[in-house]
Amino acid sequence: MTPSEINWPAALRAPDSGEQAAAMRALRDLLHSGLRMALGSRTDVSEAHLEDFAQESLLRVLDRLDQFQGRSQFTTWAQAIALNTAFTELRRKRWQDVSLDALLANGERLADPAMIADDVLGGDEERTRLVAALRHAIEHDLTTKQRAAILAELREMPFDQIVELLGTSRSAAYKMLHDARRALKQRLHEAGITGNDINQAFNP
Amino acid sequence: MNTEAQRLTRDEVGGIVKMLSLTTDHELDCGECLRHVGEYAEGRLANQPLAEAIAGVEQHLALCPECREEFEALMRILQAGQ
Repeated sequence: MTPSEINWPAALRAPDSGEQAAAMRALRDLLHSGLRMALGSRTDVSEAHLEDFAQESLLRVLDRLDQFQGRSQFTTWAQAIALNTAFTELRRKRWQDVSLDALLANGERLADPAMIADDVLGGDEERTRLVAALRHAIEHDLTTKQRAAILAELREMPFDQIVELLGTSRSAAYKMLHDARRALKQRLHEAGITGNDINQAFNP
Repeated sequence: MNTEAQRLTRDEVGGIVKMLSLTTDHELDCGECLRHVGEYAEGRLANQPLAEAIAGVEQHLALCPECREEFEALMRILQAGQ
């Protein structure tokens, strides 16, 4: 029987402990294989890491079985969870030494108009106007935490790390960032800068 | 503090501008993206039109480098299994 032919949710919930254990072993092996394909060439990922990620992923999949709605193959859904588990852990290790104080200090610095040079996107009038409006909006329309979170995102801090440092939930942190982006976009719009202007400034 | 050294680079300011150009009033967050990304990936592989419910996945992937990294890895796994 191929993986796509197995009724995974039923097998993983099977009252027969032998059948259930076999399904768990097969799923764990499948996740391990996918993780090896995705991460095996990375120098910061060892065989022991792959084993740990596969085991942790299996537990997360089992924990979320009730959330599987059958809109994709079960194995696709499970692989997505496994990849999220592994990448989240790898990103967390890379950023674990960054402190909240450092994050917030960056947010304070972003309010300083000198942080963004007039001609950073180029010297023409339209882009200079865009940069001026953006700088004003960052300084006046965002909170320190919003500025800090935006800067952390730009510098590729993992979202889970931002959430942890801000001491909030993922959904609250995402809403905070979304609100910040909407506030900046609205302010640019009020300054007469359209979405098209924004696109052209970034993709001349 | 040496402000000059802390200034945002062109790529960073461009990153803010790009984020704003992609911002919409209603967006999926990362958890919602994870719930739908499998369906989205299979649809992409099969060249199927996107269902309305998962159209937001594409917009989220354009904004979120972490979810995009995971999606690209998922696509490699699915393509290898075809």
